[in-house]
Amino acid sequence: MLPNFSYVRAKSVEEAVERLSAPGALIHAGGTDLLGCLRDEVFGADLLVSISRLAKLRGIEETSDGGLRIGALATVTEVAENPMIRERFPGLAQSAAEVASPQLRNQGTMGGNICQKPRCWYYRGAFHCRRKGGSICYAFGAENQFHAIFGHDHICAIVHPSDTAPILVALDATARVVGPRGARFVPLPQFFVLPNQDVEKETVLDPGEIVTDIQVPKPAQGLRTRYRKVRARQSWDFALAGVALALNFSGDKVQRARVVLSGVAPIPWRSEEVEKAITGRKLDAETIKHAAEAAVADAQPLEQNQYKIPLVQGVLEEQLTTIAKG
Amino acid sequence: MNTEEKRYYFLEGLPVPETPLPGDEPAPWKKTHFVGKGLPRVDAYERVSGSAVYPSDVNFPDMLYAAILGCPYPNARVKNVDTSAASKVAGCRGVMTGSSPGADIAWRYEKKKSKIFDPHCRYEGDAVAAVVADTPYSAWDAIKAIKVDYEILPFVSDERNALASKAPAVHPGGNQVGKPQTYERGDVDKGFKEADVVLEAEYRTECELHTPMELHGCVVRWDGDELIIWESTQGVYSVQTMVAETLGLPLAKVRVIGRYMGGGFGSKLVTSKYSIIAALFAKETARPVKLFLTREQTYLVVGNRPPTNMTLKAGIKKDGTLTALQFTCLGTGGAYPADGTWGVDWLVRDTYLCPNVKCESTDVYINAGPARPFRAPGHPQGSWALEQMMDALAEAIKMDPVELRLKNIPTYSQGRPGNMPYTSTGLKQCLVEGAKAFKWKEKRAALARTKQTGHIRRGIGMAGGLWQVGGGMPPSSIVLKLFVDGSVNLNMGASDIGTGTKTIMALIVSEELGVPLDKIQIENADTGTTQYATPSGGSKTVPSDGPAVRDAAVRVKQRLLKLASEDLKSKPEDLTVVGGYVVSQKDKSKRIKIGEIGKFKEQRVIVGLGYRGPNPVGKIIQPFCAQFCEVEVNTLTGEVTLLSFLAAHDSGRVMDRLTYDSQVIGGITMGVGFGMTEMRVLDRRTGKLCNKNWHDYKLPTSRDVPSEIVSLPLELPDAEANSIGAKGLGEPVTVPTGAAIANAVYDAIGVRVTSTPINPLQLNRLLAERRGKE
Amino acid sequence: MIDEIHREDGPSPSRLSETELAENATEGVTRRGFLASIGVGAVAVAAGGGSASARPSTEVLKPDEMAKLTLKINGRIYRLLVEPRWSLLYVLREELGLTGTKVGCERGECGACTVLIDGRPQYACLMLAVEAEDAEITTLEGLMDGQELGPVQQAFVEHDAFQCGYCTPGQIVAVEGLLRKNPDPSLDEIRTGVSGNLCRCGAYGHIFEAAQKAAKLKSGQGGKS
Repeated sequence: MLPNFSYVRAKSVEEAVERLSAPGALIHAGGTDLLGCLRDEVFGADLLVSISRLAKLRGIEETSDGGLRIGALATVTEVAENPMIRERFPGLAQSAAEVASPQLRNQGTMGGNICQKPRCWYYRGAFHCRRKGGSICYAFGAENQFHAIFGHDHICAIVHPSDTAPILVALDATARVVGPRGARFVPLPQFFVLPNQDVEKETVLDPGEIVTDIQVPKPAQGLRTRYRKVRARQSWDFALAGVALALNFSGDKVQRARVVLSGVAPIPWRSEEVEKAITGRKLDAETIKHAAEAAVADAQPLEQNQYKIPLVQGVLEEQLTTIAKG
Repeated sequence: MNTEEKRYYFLEGLPVPETPLPGDEPAPWKKTHFVGKGLPRVDAYERVSGSAVYPSDVNFPDMLYAAILGCPYPNARVKNVDTSAASKVAGCRGVMTGSSPGADIAWRYEKKKSKIFDPHCRYEGDAVAAVVADTPYSAWDAIKAIKVDYEILPFVSDERNALASKAPAVHPGGNQVGKPQTYERGDVDKGFKEADVVLEAEYRTECELHTPMELHGCVVRWDGDELIIWESTQGVYSVQTMVAETLGLPLAKVRVIGRYMGGGFGSKLVTSKYSIIAALFAKETARPVKLFLTREQTYLVVGNRPPTNMTLKAGIKKDGTLTALQFTCLGTGGAYPADGTWGVDWLVRDTYLCPNVKCESTDVYINAGPARPFRAPGHPQGSWALEQMMDALAEAIKMDPVELRLKNIPTYSQGRPGNMPYTSTGLKQCLVEGAKAFKWKEKRAALARTKQTGHIRRGIGMAGGLWQVGGGMPPSSIVLKLFVDGSVNLNMGASDIGTGTKTIMALIVSEELGVPLDKIQIENADTGTTQYATPSGGSKTVPSDGPAVRDAAVRVKQRLLKLASEDLKSKPEDLTVVGGYVVSQKDKSKRIKIGEIGKFKEQRVIVGLGYRGPNPVGKIIQPFCAQFCEVEVNTLTGEVTLLSFLAAHDSGRVMDRLTYDSQVIGGITMGVGFGMTEMRVLDRRTGKLCNKNWHDYKLPTSRDVPSEIVSLPLELPDAEANSIGAKGLGEPVTVPTGAAIANAVYDAIGVRVTSTPINPLQLNRLLAERRGKE
Repeated sequence: MIDEIHREDGPSPSRLSETELAENATEGVTRRGFLASIGVGAVAVAAGGGSASARPSTEVLKPDEMAKLTLKINGRIYRLLVEPRWSLLYVLREELGLTGTKVGCERGECGACTVLIDGRPQYACLMLAVEAEDAEITTLEGLMDGQELGPVQQAFVEHDAFQCGYCTPGQIVAVEGLLRKNPDPSLDEIRTGVSGNLCRCGAYGHIFEAAQKAAKLKSGQGGKS
């Protein structure tokens, strides 16, 4: 059952920002992740500031420079079904379609999807873990089959739960953020925070800051995108591992590559090793095999999640093979 | 059946079966007119319109809400409970602990004594305190305000460590529950010597949680000294007994109502502490009280299918003759005695002909929630080992897996003393007809011809099986009232847990009396107004209560004929019922409309009391099955796609084709969960349950089940089993599923997955290990 | 909260007498007049007419004060008092007695509480009641045509697309939402459409059939069952 809190519906972004400056104030957009965390007492809230009625934060449209603006309140379903996105950024539509369940996609917002809290069962459960201000990460040496193989630095082994964030990172999207000090733009590749930077934060957002829009630059020539997620069951499940690809092809050669893994690290995990292994090359079997091996060369698997090493290799092999076909 | 017939169940002029003389058993039905058809359920409207009132839907204007505080540790002593802050929470109407007046109440787990609020909590979630409040929100505010001082004790949460010398003892006297259960026939050493091939393997199945959709709980209200409980239960009489014994009330003063319930799968065969706590609060506050556990609590305290650690050694001759089976199992029923290994060895003992069999099962205590029966207790686990071993044996002697099983079909029960014959045994037909319908040989040949080179590999697999209980038994009593207008009231104690019990019983009445379904009203699952029935479980409700319903209907007919005989001046045995008339078989002109029978018009109602007679002496009633499936495995990602399933079942007569198929589909779906997605994860460092929600504990979704499931009933006549000729179905449908999938995965990729669940976590590891060896 | 009067204006809700309650009871046997499904009629009363009005945006709803709320459910306007933390699910079931919407997990994982919000399936357990203001809320009850079953409900009956029936309201509402958006879905689209609704009895196979049948019924092609 939810604990007590006050509730206010903001009538403007400015009002929301102002109200969020109060201690214990939290933002409510779709509410799907927030209410779950409050129920599980992952954290508490004195005041929920609802932005759900802010029409300005809705909508998906093409920008004047040929890019894409996704309002923070656009639902995940809207992104999955948007004809323009499906045509120009199919990987983004695929990633949105793989999120949670139809009901949650109808209610959950894109802003919420990239800002969601991790699903680690220690973090969500009654364990006072490091991410909640405690002194240990319970995952190390215990039930860590769903945890990170990259980027945990033996501090905290959550995996980032978002499916849309990896492809947005691969697309070099930017978040427009409004806060007490005005608006700023944060490139998605710099939006997420690793445990070694700050173990209690998942994003660079400061208190009181709100994501208002996500902007995706115009697709460059020959862009192909894909998102593939492997999970333990086929709906309402987070990635065991997944891959977001944004590759620019020139003929059959990869001219520029962005490869971001999901389900394997505390943030959407950009694999520069893979990018390097395929850039300038034709995606033949040998290149792909080499790229897949490069992807996991620096992995630091835990006791129960070593399966993610062959899985990452496998999903990369499958997807690079597929994307090469056009 | 065409649409017209579906709409108008009652066909004018329909003869009803012969009425036996009083004291005689009714003959088996020949051609049936209602039984066996695919008619919509009698309570379908209520279930789809929202008008069915489940216990959790019961509301009263002055109702309070209670909640239970569970111990957060797997093993702890409660030193002090401070409720002062909790009782001050806005809306809180009462707080209860073991030291509250009247709350120091004993609670039993089989032979072990405990308390409702036991100061020693041996599993996470055991009750420490409870509150009652105006809203469930206030109740949880108050729960969170309770301060408990625990002495945290060492725990053991993995049954594989429970017998280690350093393992903390869950109870004084050690962690072994009694002596290991043993079974032996013949001489296994001799059997292994006679074998051409001997194989041995270890198998493990993970602990599975029931998680029915409706939460466990009840609404309770006192009516003077009578306690009324609306509980989501599989057996209202079971709840009545436990509550009456616990609170020291006469059975007659505890009325339990559970006409609808949202699933149980064994976990609602009994009640839990919540009904007692709700009753105490309702008494204290003089208000109705609703107490449903939270979803998270249902993962901890209302049962599970225990994990198993099995070994199976098997000997076979080249011609496919089994020479020996040796089986061991280590399991756990949790923190209290709960039959942690019940039924696991049964399939090894009973399924296939084998002269030399030895089994040993060891049940241990761990600091986790006590087990409860879970759909075919023990059987899917035993099947996981036996049916994978059968496939391995078949491969070793280069024999078709179906052929191997067919070579070893018993006609009598080997697992019980006395080699008693089965009343009907359909294992052979299930294998033969199932294989035929699945096109087993053709598919096998086609797969053998094709060299599979890509990363998607296809395979087929199968498993046979049976269910140990499934025959039903006394007691069951039924009251049937035939009103003068020809409509009927059927009164029975059984719950309809979703299997279609009410519909099947109504069909029996229709069949026997010629009354259309829409003229039958059913009262059920209410200890205050309906007859005694055992809880719905064990696939025994239809074969237990069905014959009693038929008996009641026969008695109504006998009475009807007796009354009509006075009007028609004929002997009752010369009369029969046809299309709403009583007619003389000797002189067809002698007929009278049922409603015109003189005494009947006076009495307005004829009451038939039906009972369930004993089962045949010296015979065994068991359902049998075989399931076949086709899978695709992605060798790059470890994903398994279930393409199709075919389920061939011998459960005797098909009582209702629609709900029969629903059971088959449901059993396979649950088997998919057992085999592919579900496992309880206890944190090794703290002993706490990690996955106590439906995201972390993964039930199969609509996207995980096979896109095609074919139900193939083999309707073998069984006149000996009981008067309706039906055997249990709800449990056998989930017995072979997991093993069939494992065999198909092996067929596809050559990797034996001997531990559940078959998921990408395991397959990626196993495939990588194999690549490492190559 | 039952002691409170959950109505913002008009006469106090009348308490039904025990006899009336017994007469209204649709389930169970009354001995001294209990009610099963309609008791909460005393708590919140549907007010005819009027339209849902937007709440002044800057009003802070305090936890210890009941807030006025207007909800539009199945075409009817309900005015009631709520705590800010109450979920739409709680209000539907425990305050308004609309128990067709079921409670399974209260954490957005099972779908038993699925309702349509402006025609789209959502989980009522993960929606604050105050957030549902201004929306058209449709519950299972709202799919009925008087006493007649709606087409999706009818198709579920014909195909026995349920067992215990507890997830069924959510499944039906999910299918209804799917068909409103996609009147002729493929099997794959149906499987995805109900993939946010768990069924522990495992009735999925028949649910797929029922959804296909419902699509036909809704488009006016009844066909033979």
